[in-house]
Amino acid sequence: MEDRLRRYEKIEFLGEGQFATVYKARDTHSDNIVAVKKIKIGSRADAKDGIHRTALREIKLLQELHHQNIIGLLDVFGHMSNVSLVFDFMDYDMEVVIKDTSIVLSPANIKSYMLQTLQGLEYLHNNWILHRDLKPNNLLVNSEGILKIGDFGLAKFFGSPNRVYTHQVVTRWYRAPELLYGARMYGTSVDIWALGCILAELLLRVPFLPGETDLDQLTRIFSVMGTPTEESWPGLTLLQDYIQFKPMPSQPLRHIFSAAGDDLLHLISSLLTVNPLGRCTCEQALQMEYFSNKPAPTPGPQLPLPSSINRKQEERPSLKRKLLDAVDGGSLAKKLIF
Amino acid sequence: MAGNFWQSSHYQQWLLDKQDLVRERQLDLQVLSEEEYQKLFIFFSNFIQILGEHLKLRQQVIATATVYFKRFYARNSLKYIDPLLLAPTCVGLASKVEEFGVISNSRLITTCSTVVKNKFSYAYTTDFPYRTNNILECEFYLLENLDCCLIVYQPYRPLIQLIQDIGNDEQLFSLAWRVVNDSLRTDVCLLYPPYQIAIACLEIACVILGKDHKNWFAELSVDIEKIQEITRYIISLFELWKTYEEKKDIQALLAKMPKPKQSPSR
Repeated sequence: MEDRLRRYEKIEFLGEGQFATVYKARDTHSDNIVAVKKIKIGSRADAKDGIHRTALREIKLLQELHHQNIIGLLDVFGHMSNVSLVFDFMDYDMEVVIKDTSIVLSPANIKSYMLQTLQGLEYLHNNWILHRDLKPNNLLVNSEGILKIGDFGLAKFFGSPNRVYTHQVVTRWYRAPELLYGARMYGTSVDIWALGCILAELLLRVPFLPGETDLDQLTRIFSVMGTPTEESWPGLTLLQDYIQFKPMPSQPLRHIFSAAGDDLLHLISSLLTVNPLGRCTCEQALQMEYFSNKPAPTPGPQLPLPSSINRKQEERPSLKRKLLDAVDGGSLAKKLIF
Repeated sequence: MAGNFWQSSHYQQWLLDKQDLVRERQLDLQVLSEEEYQKLFIFFSNFIQILGEHLKLRQQVIATATVYFKRFYARNSLKYIDPLLLAPTCVGLASKVEEFGVISNSRLITTCSTVVKNKFSYAYTTDFPYRTNNILECEFYLLENLDCCLIVYQPYRPLIQLIQDIGNDEQLFSLAWRVVNDSLRTDVCLLYPPYQIAIACLEIACVILGKDHKNWFAELSVDIEKIQEITRYIISLFELWKTYEEKKDIQALLAKMPKPKQSPSR
């Protein structure tokens, strides 16, 4: 056991969430850089019940999942309630990209992020898993431009009709209307909605629907997408926390996303359909013209890097050229590199 | 359980070889005969079953706990961890993994004490000796020895599908279901994929009830030899049960079982 503790050399502190603290570390066996997520013990009562549920979810699901766009779980070590998970090291997340005003996101860049996210999510849904907490900061990217979906602390199997789920999932801004209305049975459409919000945020560079309360969240959704009715969403009024909103018309999406083409607007409106049964699936989204139309998605290594990463990596000469390319040519997507 | 069995850790890492199993058990089999070894595992499977029923767990959770238990000892000697401690630890971990409500460790310990006192007094004359701290420590060893593979596929779901195909037969279904429960007292869950176990259990149930579904079985695209091997394991369990009186023999067996060295108290 002590071997394992010593195997990973802490390099720096990366961040802290509700359930865990994350460090960058070196795996002394392979010399690879990894991310070590140390699960917080929490209250004494929690600690008494052993390995935390969120950690167990990540362990059990990621042990079964192997996909280029899903974060890889490399190792688990610890002692008693004190558990650490070792993941692929990812250089940054989409929240950093969105907030970094020095980065210009070309349509090809956005297409690349969306394509990779959808491929990862399609794989999850095909394996009957809901992520339930998609948001920009759970979409992780490495310096090669590979995007991986991370943080499976809320993820769950779906499809058993006898299981009732909590609706208190997904960070509010990305929470689907059926969850806000208290639905206890829901499906892949909650992840699709979140993805729609993320796409909108990539285009606008600010959160699309930053509700301050659950009610405000619904108001914001309906003021853009129009208030749903029993006709547009059968069964709506039967939902546990249903409340009637004053009828609001939907706004034309092309006014909000003025730079987006018809194919992209079609994708946005399919992802953000208020009626969960009308929302598209990952498979349908991937088949849409947006992904086959020009421009082609930017190849991973040419995706822009946040300035914080650029600075650090300029010290490494082998990467320098690649980075300079990425900085100089904002429209690299059109170049074909052989 | 959902997901893709063919890409699962269950299929890729945890279908063991009969030879491996024999080799891993060498240490214990120097002390115990193969039959005695099996009798101990029958006893602890019963213990897990009754503990699970007292905690009102679903059979799926109980079965997963039993598989964890068997996987652990497929790699370790009985003297590595006292099975009386590992059994409740497996139940606790399985209930967390399957997400049908979490059982607090204190409730687990209390129920264990009650069950040992009321149901297994023929095996244990002393109180259940472990506390929450022991479970906590044991849980991590268990997780590690399972290589963090927590999702276990069970024969129950394939059995439901097979029964629907054969034509809904309530009597046949409930007997086959019970044969699957019995199969947890053999090594088949370590050696064969759950869909094959389901077929074998269904076949046994057909024979017992005198139902002729030969044509249906003939059309299955499955390795019949494997099904026969599974059947032999289960039939030999039934043969063993005919003469075995657990209540009479178990104390001597538990006394003979290899045990952990008493660690100095901390």
